[in-house]
Order: sequence, then structure tokens, then C-alpha cells
Amino acid sequence: MAGSRSHSFKVVLLGEGCVGKTSLVLRYVENKFNDKHFSTLQASFLNKKLNIAGKRVSLAIWDTAGQERFHALGPIYYRDSNGAILVYDVTDEDSFQKVKTWVKELRKMLGNDVCLCIAGNKIDLEKDRAVSLEEADSYATSVGAKHFLTSAKLNRGIEELFVDLAKRMIEIAESSDEHRVNSLGRGSNPRRNVVIVDDEPQQQKTGCCGG
Amino acid sequence: MSSKSEPAHRFRRANLLHIPESDLLCKNGCGFYGNPAWQGYCSKCHKELYQKSKHSNVPELKSKYSRRSPSQTSGESPDSSFLTFSKFEEKKRHQSEKRAKTIKSIIKRTSTFKEAAAHSGWKEQRHMSFESQKVNRDFGEFLKTLREPAAQDVKKHIHVLIDRVQKYTDRSIDEASELIQDFYQAVGERFETHPAFQGASPDQVEQLMNFTEKYLMTRLYKVLFGQISTEDEEKDLAIQKRIRSLNWVTAEHLGSDIDDKHPEVRDLIDKAITDIIEMDSKRAPQDKLSCIVRCSQNIFNILHVCHGGPASADEFLPALVFIVLKANPPLLQSNIKYITQFSNPSRLMSGEGGYYFTNLCCAVAFIENLTAESLNLSQDEFNRYLSGEAVPPGGYEQNAFLCEGLRLMYQNLAALSDLRQRHDKLMAEALSLREDMNKFKDTITKEVDLVLAKTPLIIQPYKIPPDIDLKVLPSVIREHVLQDRASSTWPTDVLLTEATLVDIENDQIAGQQAVEDSGCPLSASDIFIKQASSLKPKPEKVTHVLLEPSTTGTVETFHKVGEYSLDLGEFPHSHFVQM
Repeated sequence: MAGSRSHSFKVVLLGEGCVGKTSLVLRYVENKFNDKHFSTLQASFLNKKLNIAGKRVSLAIWDTAGQERFHALGPIYYRDSNGAILVYDVTDEDSFQKVKTWVKELRKMLGNDVCLCIAGNKIDLEKDRAVSLEEADSYATSVGAKHFLTSAKLNRGIEELFVDLAKRMIEIAESSDEHRVNSLGRGSNPRRNVVIVDDEPQQQKTGCCGG
Repeated sequence: MSSKSEPAHRFRRANLLHIPESDLLCKNGCGFYGNPAWQGYCSKCHKELYQKSKHSNVPELKSKYSRRSPSQTSGESPDSSFLTFSKFEEKKRHQSEKRAKTIKSIIKRTSTFKEAAAHSGWKEQRHMSFESQKVNRDFGEFLKTLREPAAQDVKKHIHVLIDRVQKYTDRSIDEASELIQDFYQAVGERFETHPAFQGASPDQVEQLMNFTEKYLMTRLYKVLFGQISTEDEEKDLAIQKRIRSLNWVTAEHLGSDIDDKHPEVRDLIDKAITDIIEMDSKRAPQDKLSCIVRCSQNIFNILHVCHGGPASADEFLPALVFIVLKANPPLLQSNIKYITQFSNPSRLMSGEGGYYFTNLCCAVAFIENLTAESLNLSQDEFNRYLSGEAVPPGGYEQNAFLCEGLRLMYQNLAALSDLRQRHDKLMAEALSLREDMNKFKDTITKEVDLVLAKTPLIIQPYKIPPDIDLKVLPSVIREHVLQDRASSTWPTDVLLTEATLVDIENDQIAGQQAVEDSGCPLSASDIFIKQASSLKPKPEKVTHVLLEPSTTGTVETFHKVGEYSLDLGEFPHSHFVQM
């Protein structure tokens, strides 16, 4: 429905506790960091409206619980999502390994239709870096994701990350729309049939639906 | 029939007292015992009455009863062989009447059929639940804002679907779900494209979609939810049992830092629990979702109180698990399934409600698969807690406070002790105030005594001002002086006072007079001397007059005169003259 003009996407935010998921998304949506005056009580479900090349995009950003004990619940969260942001802490090698397991899961569950972004957060702590840029970059390209270095504290790389993600999601959405249009004959006929059956007693309505 | 149970109840109560047997007999007087369940008639009389009243033939019925009763009373003594001809005749009459009545009743029946047909619409309305009626009204109101063809179209479609779902009750839930989901999609497309809806704004279309969903699901709730809850009864019971067995889990076990002893947090926990329990009572999926959203908002409020700042999913999910464990909402699985199957998919996909619903699903999944590891407990500990063999530290208090009565008691105790403290404080302050007052009184008395001791009041005899020229005296006193002068003797010791001077100065006429007398301007002292020289001794009584407080201010000046005269009294008379 009206897909060409406005899009709404679901984006899940994955990452271990303490990698700065919340700071990242709050920086993006409210442009604040460690502020006492956030306008929201919660940073787990946030909406952001974007305008990319004249297209209105609405992002629903779903935070997920990153604790190990909730790991198994991942699939419930990222069902039907269009994009995923995987956050790790550049000073924490473990958090990067965790990202790898999520990427595997996401690819398994959602296939290639999901756009992945890997964000190496806390680059303001460059001197303590534990995950090398080359390693992260090569890993990201190997799984078809984009790698960004971000800092919620310094407000670096975050805008770029979301804009890029939105662009890629639009691409996928539009190409799948085309796909659907091409296969319309088969794709939506069963549904149409149901509707027509629905309306069969009233003849005039059949006409309306057909047109 | 509630009307039946009510008299029965009254009867039971009445039975406690002694009641005469006549009251227990059939109201009809047939001699058999009556029964409150049959409005005080015996079973036979009641049956007849009931059947008659069904055909609303009451007057005829009464006459018939009056006829029947004598026959019955005679029947009471069948062995008396009193079967007379009259009785036989009556029986015959009875039968013929009965026949006539059957014909009548047949005629009557057709009319009742007609009536029933006319009332059937009304009956259906009456059978609608309160919720359905409300949503019916709201939907009707909303449809009025739309253009006529659009409203008609929506109505027609919905009713066709409702009929379809209600008719085929033997289809599975999945099929029903598919039917409704297809309907949402079809209606959604229709609202976008159909000419009847062209004039509507996107807002209106959205509202229409919401109302369609709400109306549809409220009307179909009983059928669909009933089916789900029957099919999934076991699942519901399983999760309920599971939650009950986990009643010892504290927020700490879940890695959440909810401080459930904090009174504000406690209130919010209560609110969140109420919200999630309320979910079961709502009908439309969006109403159920909004309960979840409200519950979640309360959880965020809790988290805000506990550690400030916006909470992320890392904190939210454990808190939600905690709330679900404490609430143990009824028919949880059925509700989740109902929402998943029958909500508009766009609602679950993107909105806030969808997010929190997903979290609820996660919480339920977490609870189902909860292990010792996920609570950071050893397997042994976990098993012992689960079986109820042991209670984790703090677990008891936590559950005790969740019991409304106990919590109320604790609250009241706290309030009482607070009140007591305040009362004690008040008493202490009152006492110290009394002490202070006493002390103050003492010190004042002492100070006054001291001052009195230091400055004893010695009344010295007044030096009477000499006889002065009456002209310089203010007119008010003049009279007094004259009177006194007339009737008194003169004291020996006479002094001139400075106050006289002041009066002279004030009195311009006096000054001018003086000038006239001497022929040249005089200073005050000149006048003073002049007058002093013409002094005559003043009568002693004057003192008395001067001291007496009088109505005018001028006398007060004279009072001062007296004081001054004390000071001046030190000076010998001759000094003045020399001056």
C-alpha cells in the first residue's frame, strides 16, 4: 500500500549489555548523551522519521535484552524485522564474538532480506581498542553487512549508520515490491479469491473489488 | 429464574421461625402442601397456572381454579364414597371447557408466534453483551461522520463476515484467523481504493480500520476466544502452574534492581500487575494491547524511580518477567494466541503495542524455559526452591508484601508509629513551651524587681511653682489656679520653674505682652526674671491640682512642670534673680 512514497521499517538493536546500545540510539533519536533530561522514560522502543531522497521513512527501533539468559528469545524479537544493528564495544573482544553469533542467527532466520549494520561503538576509547578495524571490516563484508565505527559520546558515525541502513532497506523493499508486482498474478490471487468468495452473495461488490 | 430462588431463600429463613401449617399449604387451597419454588402452589396447581399464564389467560384461569378446588378437597377423602352425580357433572363441564380452551389456545398461539417474530430483533439486541452494545454505539457514531455509501459498505461487509464466522463454529481457529486476516487486508485495500472512501482523509481511514477491527472482534470475541481457551486450556493451566511454582523468584534473581520495598515502587508494581491482569477482560485485540502498553509504561516508571534515566530493554525485560510472575495473569496463553491470530498485523509489526506484546511473548517464553542457570542459581538450589522445600532469603517477605491485607497492615503500622512519634514530639514541644513560659515569667519578675530595686520610687514633695502671671498660663489651667489661689495659703518655699518658661515661649501673646510692658524686645530669660521678681508664694494645694491627670494635654505639661521643678529646686532662689 502506497509503498513507493513512504516506508516503515522495523529495526532491531542487538548487542551485549554495556556495549552502549542505549546510548547509541538515544544519541541518534534525541541527540543527547548521558543527559538527565531525556524526554523519554524508555529507550527500548523508539521511533525516528527520516526523509531520504524525498522518501519518507519511519524507523521503529526495537531494543533487545542483551543478557545471556535472554539469548534464546532473540528470534521472537527479530521476527519480521527489516534491519538489524549489531553493536559491539571496540574495547571488548567478547562483545564482537557475540555479534558473530547473532549475525549467524539472523541470516538463518531472516535470510538475505535483512540489512545488517555492525557498529563498533566507543571509539573515543581508541587507546584501549581490542578489536582490530581490519578484522571487523573483513568480517562485515564476508557476511554482507556494513561496518561502522561509532561513538555515542562524541556523536560520531551514528547518523551515517542509520542513513545507510535506511537506504539499503528502501532498496530491498522496492526491489521486493517490484518482485511482487511481477508475480502479482500468482502472489495475491488466493487472497483476492477469498475476498470475492466473501462478497459473492452481493453482486455489485464483486465488481468493486475486481476494479 | 432468579425470582424463584428469592422466595426460596425467604422460605428458608422463615423456616427458622415457627410458622403455622396453613401457611405451608398450597395457595390455591387444594389441600396439598405448597412450595416456594412454585410460588407457594403445589406442583399441580403451579403447573396449570404456569401453562395458563403462558397464554396470558389469567382471569379465566382464576375462575377455573375456584372450580377446581372443591373437587380437590373432595378428592382428599376418596374413601368417603361421596362421588355424587354433581361431581360427575362438574367433571364433564371441566372437560368440555378444556376442549374449548385448546381451540382457543391454538388461535392464541398463532398470535404469539407473530409477536415473537416482531420481538426477535429486540431479543437479539438484548442478548448482546454490554461491550458489544457499547462498541455498537461507538461504531455507529463514527460511521455517522463518514459519507453514507462508505458507512453502508463497511457495515454490510462486517455483518457478512460476522455471520459467516458465527455460523460455522466447527472450523478451526487457524481458519477463522485466516478469514479475518484476509478480511483486514481486503478492507484495508478497499478503504484505499474504493470510490466510496475517496473523500476520507488518511486519519479517517486509519480510524475506520481501527473501528472495524474493534467492532468485529468485540462481536466475535465470545465465539473465537471461547474456542481458543477451550483448545488451549491445558497450556493456560500449565503456565499458570509454572508461574505459581516460581512464586519465590525475586527481582534480584532476574538481575533486575527493582526495589520493591520502596512505597512508590510498590504502588507502581500494583498498577502494572492490575494492568496486565485487566488484559483478559478486554475484547478487542487493540484493547488488550493497550493494557500491555499501560503495564509496560508502569514498568518504565518503576525503573525510572529505581535508577533514573531512560531504561533499555536490558532492564525492561527482566522487570516484565518479574511483573508477569507476580501477576500470574489469567488465560495468558489464550490471550497471546488471540492477539497474534486476530489483531491487525500492522499493529503487531511496527507499533509500540507490538513491541511490548513481543516482549510479553518473550517473558512468557522465558518463564516456560526458565532454568537454574537463567536465575544464576545452582541446580540443587533451584530444585529445592521449585519444590518448595526451601525459600530463598527475602522471598518470604517479598510475597508477604504482595498480600494486600498484610501490606495494608504494615502500612497502617507504619502510619501509626509515625503518628505516635509526631504525638510524642508535640507533647515534648508543649512541655518545653510551658517551661519557657515559666522561665520567662520568672525572669520578667526578677528584672522588674531589679529595676525597682535600682530605681526606688521616691515621691518627693513638689516644689510648687510660684504664682505666675495668669496671662502666660494656658487658658485651661488658668481656672484651676485661680480657684486654688483664692482658697489657700502660700507656701514659704517658692520656686520658679523652667516649664513656666516653656509655656511663656509657646504663648506668643504672652511674649508680646512682655514686649509691650518693657517697650523693647525681651529675651526669654528677661521675661523669666521679670516674672520671677513679681512672684508671690503659691498655695500648697496647687501641687495636688497639677498632679492630677486631666483631660487635656496642657495639664500634662504642667505635670512636667512638677518634675522640672524638682531639678531646679537645687538652685537657690537668689541665682534666678541674678540671672
